[in-house]
Amino acid sequence: MPSVGDTAFRAPGRQWRSLAELERDPAFLDRAAQEFPILRDALSEPHKRRHVLRLIAASLAMGGLAGCYSGEPSGVLIPEVRFPPEIVAGLPNHYATAHVLSGYALGTVVTHQMGRPIKVEGNPNHPSSLGATDPYAQAEVLGFYDPDRAMDITRAGTPASVQTLLAALVSVQGVAAATRGAGLRILTGDTSSPTLARLMGRVLAAYPEARWHVWEPVNRDRAMRGAVLAYGQPVETVARLENADVILGLDSDLLGGVPGWVRYARDFASRRNPVRTQAMSRVYAAEASPTLLGSVADHRFVTGAQELDAVVVALGHSLLQGAPATLPGVPAWLAPVVADLKAHRGRAFIHAGPALSAEGHALVHAMNEALGGRGSTYELVEPVLDQPAASRAESIAALAEDMHAGRVTTLVMIDTNPVFTAPGTLGFADALARVPLSIALSKWPDETGRLATWSVPMAHPWETWSDARGHDGTVTIMQPMALPLYGGLSATELVGRLLGAEGETPRAMVQATWRDQLGGGGGDFDAAWHQALAKGVVPGSASAKATASLRDSAATLSPPPSPPGLHILFRPDPRLWDGRFASNPWLQELPDPLTKLTWDNPLLVSPDLAGQMGLRNGDKVNLRTGAGAISLPIWVHPGQARDTVLAWLGGGRRTAGGVGTDNGWDVYPLTGADGLAVMEPTGNQVELASTIHHNVIVFPPGSELDKIIKHATLDVFQQNPAFAKEPEKPEIYHRKPADPTAWAMTVDLNRCIGCNACVIACQAENNVPTVGKEQVLMEREMHWLRIDRYYEGTPDAPDAFFQPMLCMHCEKAPCELVCPPGATVHDSEGLNLMVYNRCIGTRFCSNNCPYKVRRFNFYPYAYRMNRPAVSWNNNVTMRSGGVMEKCTYCVQRIWSARIIADQANIPDGTIEVRTACQAACPTQVFTFGDQNNPGSDVHARKQSPLDYALLEDQHTHPRTTYEALVRNPNPAISKESA
Amino acid sequence: MAALFRPQANLLAKFGFIGIVVSILAGIGWWWGYPRTNYSRQEFWTVHQPVMFSHEHHVGGLGIDCRFCHTSVTTSSNAGMPPTYTCMTCHSQVWTNAEMLAPVRQSLARNEPIVWHRVYNLPDYTFFDHSIHITKGVGCAECHGEINRMPLTYKAVDLEMTFCIDCHQNPAPHLRPRTEIFNMEWTRTAATPSPRQLMAEYNVRAGGVLLECSTCHR
Repeated sequence: MPSVGDTAFRAPGRQWRSLAELERDPAFLDRAAQEFPILRDALSEPHKRRHVLRLIAASLAMGGLAGCYSGEPSGVLIPEVRFPPEIVAGLPNHYATAHVLSGYALGTVVTHQMGRPIKVEGNPNHPSSLGATDPYAQAEVLGFYDPDRAMDITRAGTPASVQTLLAALVSVQGVAAATRGAGLRILTGDTSSPTLARLMGRVLAAYPEARWHVWEPVNRDRAMRGAVLAYGQPVETVARLENADVILGLDSDLLGGVPGWVRYARDFASRRNPVRTQAMSRVYAAEASPTLLGSVADHRFVTGAQELDAVVVALGHSLLQGAPATLPGVPAWLAPVVADLKAHRGRAFIHAGPALSAEGHALVHAMNEALGGRGSTYELVEPVLDQPAASRAESIAALAEDMHAGRVTTLVMIDTNPVFTAPGTLGFADALARVPLSIALSKWPDETGRLATWSVPMAHPWETWSDARGHDGTVTIMQPMALPLYGGLSATELVGRLLGAEGETPRAMVQATWRDQLGGGGGDFDAAWHQALAKGVVPGSASAKATASLRDSAATLSPPPSPPGLHILFRPDPRLWDGRFASNPWLQELPDPLTKLTWDNPLLVSPDLAGQMGLRNGDKVNLRTGAGAISLPIWVHPGQARDTVLAWLGGGRRTAGGVGTDNGWDVYPLTGADGLAVMEPTGNQVELASTIHHNVIVFPPGSELDKIIKHATLDVFQQNPAFAKEPEKPEIYHRKPADPTAWAMTVDLNRCIGCNACVIACQAENNVPTVGKEQVLMEREMHWLRIDRYYEGTPDAPDAFFQPMLCMHCEKAPCELVCPPGATVHDSEGLNLMVYNRCIGTRFCSNNCPYKVRRFNFYPYAYRMNRPAVSWNNNVTMRSGGVMEKCTYCVQRIWSARIIADQANIPDGTIEVRTACQAACPTQVFTFGDQNNPGSDVHARKQSPLDYALLEDQHTHPRTTYEALVRNPNPAISKESA
Repeated sequence: MAALFRPQANLLAKFGFIGIVVSILAGIGWWWGYPRTNYSRQEFWTVHQPVMFSHEHHVGGLGIDCRFCHTSVTTSSNAGMPPTYTCMTCHSQVWTNAEMLAPVRQSLARNEPIVWHRVYNLPDYTFFDHSIHITKGVGCAECHGEINRMPLTYKAVDLEMTFCIDCHQNPAPHLRPRTEIFNMEWTRTAATPSPRQLMAEYNVRAGGVLLECSTCHR
């Protein structure tokens, strides 16, 4: 690459990735010009040069030695005594189950190799999945094998045997039976399991004085209360985004967060590419801090808390009472949005996020009814969760009050971590100390288990039988994937023990729930049961449509006005959710969609406020709310409202195993108050591991390629569909691989919502290691597939763009020319192969790659990961230290598909291969296949007028091409008025 | 001043220098030559096994088909090692008290698998698939030799990368009719379809994709 001068970077107003890039920070420019900045830093210090040279020599030697293993016969072969049914060595098995997050199930299919689960895919039969997954479901493999999972029963901190635990449970049951359950409290997280609900019903019937409390830190209390205000009963909204011409999100988590978002993302994306949809949808988002919906919206309005109140009220007035939307104090963009919504009666949908007030939610229900969307753009169904009407916040508050007052004698906590997640105002840890007998059942050792009398390991959902419901109520019966690794009780077993139902297996309990409903209650139960297990869904089990009609009072509600001041918003960490995934290194190291932060959860602050307070990324502040005060660093977040700071729940776990403990900052002590905060700089600084400035694509000075993301409005597209195409330039030499098969990929930028499912899927499929925070700070993260996020516009309200980046498999690959040992070579079908055994670690290839998609093992990261050998994908080589690696187009999947096709004598051109990223993607961004096969999807997508190659002027002829982004802004809204 | 070195020092020095040169050359020779010996490749070595199983007796003598024990060889990458249960289908009836079969009976009785020692072992970065080779008409004997004449099993080929490449470069001579895959003694006759015909029939991709690194290394 030519040296980077000031002119090499895009001027302000063009596309940028970080504020440092926008401001042309000299330190950033200097760093970006280096392929390996850390190496350059080390070399520039004279007294360290020898050390660096020594390391280089050592890495060369190690890289060379890595190829010396001769593979002589050794080792053993251990066949079974009897073959387990269905398992054939070398062939995968697939079993349906579900990933349950905060009570809602996402149907999955787990791939096994010789009985070991190694990969999660979505279940095409499941309405919440349709074959796709979210990053959490993908990462469950690592969670299952986690060596930090809870394995020991402890009593008051000392190990105890199962017998003593069971004896203790017997005495709990005896006391409860004698006292009608007085003082017995059971606390669970959100659950939708019909079996658990049935057992809990029996517990509450047997012990009338006992209480069941539910606490979920990432809850939808306000949405549910809003539904009760609007309909007089709790109802669940199931969006039908494929029917929505106009979508308005109010602080909405419609793409990423809301139950069913994986499905919604698919429906949403089906209306976003103008080449493949009849009518493109139009999306508005009004929000204080960017969400994924806002990032991909056609119009995103930065709306602070108070302004959002005014917007909701004005929307209500204009949509429900026909008043004009041009009230004082209401932003100018509202009138055209209202007009657009009204013009699409029956085809419009408004979605409000969990932070909006209950009255706001009720108003939104009324507005959606007024817009005629019910039955078209959304359905109302009977609630999915157990105890739908109970407010989670009130439930835990009532419990804490009882505990403080000494009214609780026995507390059973199932799969919940209230000591960490309960609102800071409740003092839950102190309250727990006043409970004579507490039992915590949890999958990981956690803060609650440490303080509880009994800490009991919980069986992983892959180790036991259970059931759960998807976002529309569809039931999945979850079968065990493996025998328990570390023992453990399931939730149903524990509750069964409270009933004195000894010896009843979880399987029997789940079957008892379904015996009357499957197979028509007759003798067909076994067949129906197996069918439900194999399909992963119970047919016809979706929630019934709610028949409730809107109360007249809903339309006249008015949300309580937000007080003036600095507002603090709490959202689940995009990587750790409420903190439960802290022990999962894949998720810890997953770059957040927008800030690209890994391992940390700083406070997000608007550029304006940060500038005013003189804060930069990593500066620590003291933050105080009515509930408590903590000190944590900040991150300047473009596009955030000035009067809002955003805190991610879930960081700062104190007891979460080796990986999860003490990463980030615990913000739960701030929760539970009125939503206002006071922020003061401290003058301290910490380093935050963001990949925002890693792998920057740098252009030579004077290049016309100032825009990496090619995008246009729908108008421009209609006038010139091929706006992204560049005129072909003459070339001296370009030899295309001659094979009849030509593997290729297209990436549709119109569909990408930045959700990160593909990143984890790639990591799981290809044995990509994690490296840890220190190594991320040195720009050494290993993700083969990353999602670049670009901004365009001002830092206050930029447009955001997502671009998945993976190896482009260039037909004229610059990496191949510079590899001394020929470790990266081209194959006849167009794959750019990486031969690990040849690699000696010169890293020339990475230096010469214009797309910055190659990753180098500075250490044998894979071997340093604390995970059992059986958890890795055995179809992909483990890479050791000193070896370069990168996306292979999932070559192992190509070969296994080819072998299967050959065995069945299927002609070569028609084999179907799905890469890991493609299979996981909720929105079908990726298409992979043989571009020479006229019947293939990839062939069709390559014909799209939007198709373009990244950095076309480099003449690399990449096999991975992109479909340019088209947005559909409302002509009545100019940029300035927004 | 007396001489520092006595006259025989010259001789010693000469021998010393020659010795150094010779040992360097020998070292290089060893480094080059040793991996190419059958000894280092453990070719033709019989490997000690917990049960002295004879392929000669079972295959050559009794004529048991390969697939009776190696059940997944036609469908999976892995040929499949027989479970104890397979041995006992016969040995619960014949040779029920043989001293040699005690470990097999023990395995079944105690439900503990028999631990066999590997004869063929490919490195972990090499991905071989039995089923596709059989689908494409490559006989077992191509790699496993005349296993029907092996009282104790040994590695019949060196399994160096050139062994694989030679065949992938020119598969035709190594193909046989599908009926003869499991026949260890088969030889080409006048009635056999020509290699070229078999290549066409099995749709074998000569050269090209068969020689890509990713064919075996992923």
